[in-house]
Amino acid sequence: MMKNRILVFVFILLAIITASSFIGMHDQKLLQIQMPTNFPPPVYDLSINPVTEEGFGLGRKLFYEPMLSRDGNVSCGSCHQQSAAFIQAGHDFSHGVDNQHGRRNALPIFNALFYKTFFWDGGVHNLDLVPVNPIENRIEMDEKMDNVLSKLNNSSSYRNLFKQAFKVDSITSKEFLQAFSQFMGAMISANSRYDKYVRKEGETLTAEELSGLRIFEEKCRSCHATDLFTDGSYRNNGITNDFRFDKGRQEVTLNEGDKGKFKVPTLRNIEYTAPYMHNGSLETLEDVLHHYTNGIKPSDTVDSVFRKKDGSLGIDLTANEKKNLIAFLKTLSDKEFINNSIFSETIDR
Amino acid sequence: MEKVKYILASLVFAALLMSFIPSSDKKEIGTLTLQFNHLFNNEPLVFGKEYKNAHGEKLTVKTLNYFVSNIKITYKDGREYVVPQDSSYFLIRQSDAASKKIQLNNLPKGKCKSVSFMIGVDSARNTMDVSKRTGTLDVAGIAKGMYWAWNSGYIFLKFEGKSSVIPDSLSNNFYYHIGGFGGFKSSTINNIRTKTFDFPKPVSVRKNSPVVTINVDMAKLFQHKTDILLFKNSNVMWGELSVKISENYVAGFDLGNIDY
Ligand code: HEC
Ligand code: HEC
Repeated sequence: MMKNRILVFVFILLAIITASSFIGMHDQKLLQIQMPTNFPPPVYDLSINPVTEEGFGLGRKLFYEPMLSRDGNVSCGSCHQQSAAFIQAGHDFSHGVDNQHGRRNALPIFNALFYKTFFWDGGVHNLDLVPVNPIENRIEMDEKMDNVLSKLNNSSSYRNLFKQAFKVDSITSKEFLQAFSQFMGAMISANSRYDKYVRKEGETLTAEELSGLRIFEEKCRSCHATDLFTDGSYRNNGITNDFRFDKGRQEVTLNEGDKGKFKVPTLRNIEYTAPYMHNGSLETLEDVLHHYTNGIKPSDTVDSVFRKKDGSLGIDLTANEKKNLIAFLKTLSDKEFINNSIFSETIDR
Repeated sequence: MEKVKYILASLVFAALLMSFIPSSDKKEIGTLTLQFNHLFNNEPLVFGKEYKNAHGEKLTVKTLNYFVSNIKITYKDGREYVVPQDSSYFLIRQSDAASKKIQLNNLPKGKCKSVSFMIGVDSARNTMDVSKRTGTLDVAGIAKGMYWAWNSGYIFLKFEGKSSVIPDSLSNNFYYHIGGFGGFKSSTINNIRTKTFDFPKPVSVRKNSPVVTINVDMAKLFQHKTDILLFKNSNVMWGELSVKISENYVAGFDLGNIDY
């Protein structure tokens, strides 16, 4: 018994000596993530995975790393391009390995800290688990997580970066996925003209834009709610009534009542993210408004807010109102974010 | 600098103190082992061996994996011991003999009257961040192939093999990948199944490590409440039928021999 105590004592002393030798050693630098005052509180718990300079930089490198795909040609950045507010410019369906087409239009990835669910059908409910989906999807990156990790573990430069960011000698899915969450978590887009206007930071909106905002509050805000411009729910806005190809939310919940419902997307940076809708079927914002006034297709699950008194479907908007609405939607463009080089791919940093 | 010295000195003092606190008494705890034993129609399950299900369909098996979690022991005196969350997830694999043996350490001494566990992974764990998904739940490690990425959640049970009743165009393969924790935010199918086994006579964790065998007869997957035919349903993953299948296979879990 006495022997045991002496051992414990020696062990604790050793621990103290090692610990004290670390005093003054360089630690990871915490990055302060500013929560926009006009946003609801974040969903992702940053205290479990605090964003550090090292982790963020590593997450960015991984985001632009084609090695994460089976054929070494596709990175997250191939489908989520900064100049297009992190969607794939000019593609209705995203292009993955072997130049295959996905069946859905890409979603932007900023403000992910604030979302409860991810993807058009909400199949993933924790930001950390998001990258596994594109990596293992046959027509996106078509890789396997364990393969990706062994490629990274075989690279001394990646091992070194993970050591700096997470103090680990070998890379596991935990650090790999946390690096992604740090990078995506830091991608906050909240500096559009609209934001500066509502936060009273000296920005003014024109008479047309203000009129557009009023129409928006009345006719669109019930779904495109809060300053995230989505209430995070799943709705059918009548973009199609042929669900054979894609049942949307029903594929996850298996409930008939969810057939053809898709996640209400944010409208931030909407100016840059054409084409629109889950199937990429609309090219311009004019097309979108024409859809809401004249194009809503009837089906069992189409949202009841579109039902007019006379029983027909649609939102009434005059030509002038449409013009003003579009002017307003363009105040949601965040040029600082689109041009912020800390999110860009560059060869040597 | 003075401050650092002061902190170090108090740490040394704390260390001295701590080394005199008696280490937790080892005599108050014991171990219990759960041994999973796989069968098909009461015969030992062997990969590649031909069996016949209740519908006369011949089959061979190549994969059997399932999660066992949230193990709870109930004592004769009413006490309960729940295996701590962070060491409560086990992936049992037919291909890995060691995985079929769960040794529960640190059990409080006493006479145990029953054991219960989940076949699957509870809904809370299915929605946690990646820092809570290490070890058995690591989707790139032990749990590889036991996780749906598009519909985030663990596959609770995977049973795969071949049967000549399945067309050549499907390479004669059958796949049963059963999961579903009830849904996040909106409810959906729930295939978490819980089993409780009462021991015929109390198992004492006092002296040696008793071994409780759990027999798992996979033939039940094809016939219990619902008839599942390979010919008709050779590929069941996410869908309503998976609920019928989990109701069937849970009936195949049975208390076997106990080595007191
Ligand atoms: C082949 C193109 C492609 C690649 C490569 C790709 N994505 Fe995506 N991404 C998409 C598409 C398409 C969607 C929408 C799909 C859906 O919802 O079903 C999407 C959706 C997302 C979303 C959901 C946003 C939301 O609001 O719900 C996130 C986050 C995301 N991707 C991150 C990533 C990351 C991280 C990677 C790299 C590991 C990646 N993507 C690789 C095409 C791609
Ligand atoms: C009933 C809820 C609802 C209302 C009301 C609504 N939307 Fe939508 N909106 C949605 C949904 C759901 C989608 C995605 C539909 C899909 O792709 O299947 C969407 C998509 C969009 C898109 C395309 C976004 C993208 O990234 O592809 C725009 C733009 C848009 N809505 C603008 C508006 C405007 C402007 C109004 C008011 C005139 C409005 N919405 C009213 C639910 C709604």
